[in-house]
Amino acid sequence: MRMPVVALVAVLVLAVGGVTSAGAGAAAGLCANPQKVQGFTTCADIPAAEKEGELVVYSPDVEQGTAKMLQSFQALFPKIKTNYVRLQAGALYAKVQAERQARTYVVDVLNLSDVGLAFDFQKRNGYQQYISPEMAAYKPDFKSQPEGLWTWGSINTAGIAYNPKVVPSAQAPKDWEDLLDPKWKGAMSVKTSNSGLQHFTWYMLNKVLGPEFWQKLAQQEPLAFDSQVQQYDRLVNGQDKVMECAQYSGFLDYRQKGAPLEYVLPTKGAVAGPEVWGIVDNAPHPNAARLFLDWFLSPAGQKPFIEALFMHAARPDVAPPAGAAPLSSFKLLYPTDWPDFFASRPGYLKTWDAMVGRR
Amino acid sequence: MSMRTGSLATRFHRWWERVATVQGITSAVVLLGCGALVLYPVLFLIQESFNTGDPIVFPAEQYGLENYLDLVNELGVIRNTAAVAGLATVMAVFFGFVLAWILSRTDVPGRRLLERLMELPYYVTPLVGALAWSVLAGPKNGFLNQLWRLLGGQGDVVNVQSAYGIAWVMALFEGTVAFMMISAAMKSMDPALEESSRVLGGSKLRTMVRITLPLVTPAVLGATIFVFAEMLGSFAAALVLGIPARYYVITTAIYESTFSYPPNYAKASAMGLALFAVMFVTLSIYRRIVTRGVHTTITGKAFRPRVMVMGRWWRWMLVGVCWAYVFVAVVLPMGALLLTSFQRFATVILPESVFTLANYQTSLRMGPVRSALGNSVMLGLGVATVGVVIITVLVWIIYRSNAPGRGVIEYLVMFPQAVPRMVFGLGLLWAWLNLPVPIYGTLWLLALAYFTVLLPLGVRTLGGVVLQIDRSLEECARMCGASWLHQLRTVTVPLLRPGIVATWLLFFMASVRELGASIFLMGPHSKVIAPSIVSSWMTSGTELTAAMAIIQSATVLVALLILVRSVRGISGESPW
Repeated sequence: MRMPVVALVAVLVLAVGGVTSAGAGAAAGLCANPQKVQGFTTCADIPAAEKEGELVVYSPDVEQGTAKMLQSFQALFPKIKTNYVRLQAGALYAKVQAERQARTYVVDVLNLSDVGLAFDFQKRNGYQQYISPEMAAYKPDFKSQPEGLWTWGSINTAGIAYNPKVVPSAQAPKDWEDLLDPKWKGAMSVKTSNSGLQHFTWYMLNKVLGPEFWQKLAQQEPLAFDSQVQQYDRLVNGQDKVMECAQYSGFLDYRQKGAPLEYVLPTKGAVAGPEVWGIVDNAPHPNAARLFLDWFLSPAGQKPFIEALFMHAARPDVAPPAGAAPLSSFKLLYPTDWPDFFASRPGYLKTWDAMVGRR
Repeated sequence: MSMRTGSLATRFHRWWERVATVQGITSAVVLLGCGALVLYPVLFLIQESFNTGDPIVFPAEQYGLENYLDLVNELGVIRNTAAVAGLATVMAVFFGFVLAWILSRTDVPGRRLLERLMELPYYVTPLVGALAWSVLAGPKNGFLNQLWRLLGGQGDVVNVQSAYGIAWVMALFEGTVAFMMISAAMKSMDPALEESSRVLGGSKLRTMVRITLPLVTPAVLGATIFVFAEMLGSFAAALVLGIPARYYVITTAIYESTFSYPPNYAKASAMGLALFAVMFVTLSIYRRIVTRGVHTTITGKAFRPRVMVMGRWWRWMLVGVCWAYVFVAVVLPMGALLLTSFQRFATVILPESVFTLANYQTSLRMGPVRSALGNSVMLGLGVATVGVVIITVLVWIIYRSNAPGRGVIEYLVMFPQAVPRMVFGLGLLWAWLNLPVPIYGTLWLLALAYFTVLLPLGVRTLGGVVLQIDRSLEECARMCGASWLHQLRTVTVPLLRPGIVATWLLFFMASVRELGASIFLMGPHSKVIAPSIVSSWMTSGTELTAAMAIIQSATVLVALLILVRSVRGISGESPW
């Protein structure tokens, strides 16, 4: 049962007490004269952005997809050179924090696949508030409170994947509990605790199936990997039989290449987790960051992003990635009590690391 | 009182006159500069290792011994590290000794070509070997296991995702330095003793075991200790092959502690510094070995190293051993990687392969890959060129001058070798991030970091050559009235030339393949190739990574060939 959005917001604000930077907060609003350029609406000062000449994005997304998406932006604004750093969400956030504590500001736009980290960053006054005209197309619970600090940029989905050449479809798991079958012992991959989507999966299945589900799964001796690519590679090579926390976007990418893979949307629901995007406080190229965020959140930016990374858009007027069903046709499990989700992180890290034999 | 002041002033004046020479000032700048480069990050590491508060807050707010006490929970990791590093060292030194003996002391055909081929694994990024061998000998469906089953075998004949597998890959791809070190010692060995043994009726094998081996024992022991230190800090093979087997070593444990949120920098620092204590003692023993006794071989009286004449069958058998090694260490892994680079999706199940050129197109189209490769080559050239000049002066100061503090500096420059590279990289990150000098995120920081972490390699390589030069040759120049700079330019440097070229090449290669420090220091404007390949492996797939690795290896090889051809004239005798 979803908590009403207003109540959720109230709890959230209480929980993260003082999350908004005083200066950035309530007074901010949409600019007076948004302008339409290249198929999207922006409040950014375009000449100033072009004068800055650069944009730096930190993102946990697949590297070649990020590079492709940024090339699309640069094609529209050739005077703005794009750069990125790719690390898994936890590692990326640690890097941002190390830079900020030394008052070294490198990143303009930050993408985090773990909302818990975004809340933490908001609490540390890490975001710069900018209300993009494109944010109007996003549901209120897909945006920070106050609006303009971070916004859901895309939605990731986790289910189960297997290789039909190794596991006949009849024997494939249909739901999460089927992963507890002893036949998958030592032949199942999961993600490391660094993964935002794994945190979502752990949290939601804890709610739906109880902590004993994970205790039993630990007995299956799953192998943990930093990235979905390693998981899918092992599945294709027949080194593993099934994959927990199988990212739907990765499956679409591999299927397009012709890899022998099948995807299972568990009966009890696939887990969904957002990627949240925001401009970093003290960004070295603030105008370029605003222009990019406007473009990225618009259909004009979402289209090349989805084509490059196979994720679902968080706004309803953007088509799903090629070969994918719309999200509305999925039964989705996702957190509604964000403070509780945020608070669960230390427990998750401890449990998950012990479960996957990380030392 | 005034007399005492006067005498102090006079003494100070005399001291100043003695010190304020070109030699004195250069020595002071080089010693202080190198010392600061090494000590500054170490101080950050020491401080962080006692941090028991918020890992993000810097400097620490709470201090305690918990991080060190916690190390008892990491005994499994320490045991794994010792086992893998020990195994890899034994393999590397064994291969290194046998191959160096064949190629330096016998008359097998094609020695020069084989020697160059032996060094090839050292020229590729460390991850490449691990990736290639995981394709070749991965459990269940690695090529060798598929072949085994085709031949009627059951189960897996090899499993590279194990302690033995990790050690094997480390020995092949990171242990080449043992071959280089032992080979250098064998080449400068006086052959008279071997010849005496043969004249007195000793067989070739007996001569090798009873004469050659004892003669090169110091070099073998030195190589063993140096390689062991390298293996303790080795990361790539343990990352690719260890994690799928839940087999953690200290570097992968440090990687996971620091590349996560909240990061456990304090524990990583404590782990690194605990290893430092062990390694420092070991490296000090190594230092004693290489500096003990008389090593002078370059004097007015030279000898011509001769090789043993082997019988026809022996020659072919020994050359077969060398080619078998080249096949296992170079041909087989590079072949596997080449095959993977043409696959649409990486698979070891060949009937399912779909071949394409798209991975090369994507690799070359991705701007960051191009810039990473360009940056790495540029850094290699810059660090090698500037680094070798500084190292030449530094080793001369350490081994030839009477400059105060030279002994301390000799120990100090070994520090980066004694701390795992990843931990030292962390120290460098904090050190430079917290300096009000805006070089974080630039190639300048990487250049400084590379120079710092490669100092032990440079001092060891060039220091060995300086010790081989008879001091009287330099004294002759000074007696004839040459200034310090003139003596360096006309006597020391020309004598050191082959050593300088060898150090330059080592620096170039070590910079291009550097991973441990780069992984922390690389920023959006300073991408370099080794961490980019690791990142690609983690997110973009093995097929794309293989294409990148092939492009990187080819670029480095071409760069090396050009460089070697151009230094041929400089070194007198080409190292190639």
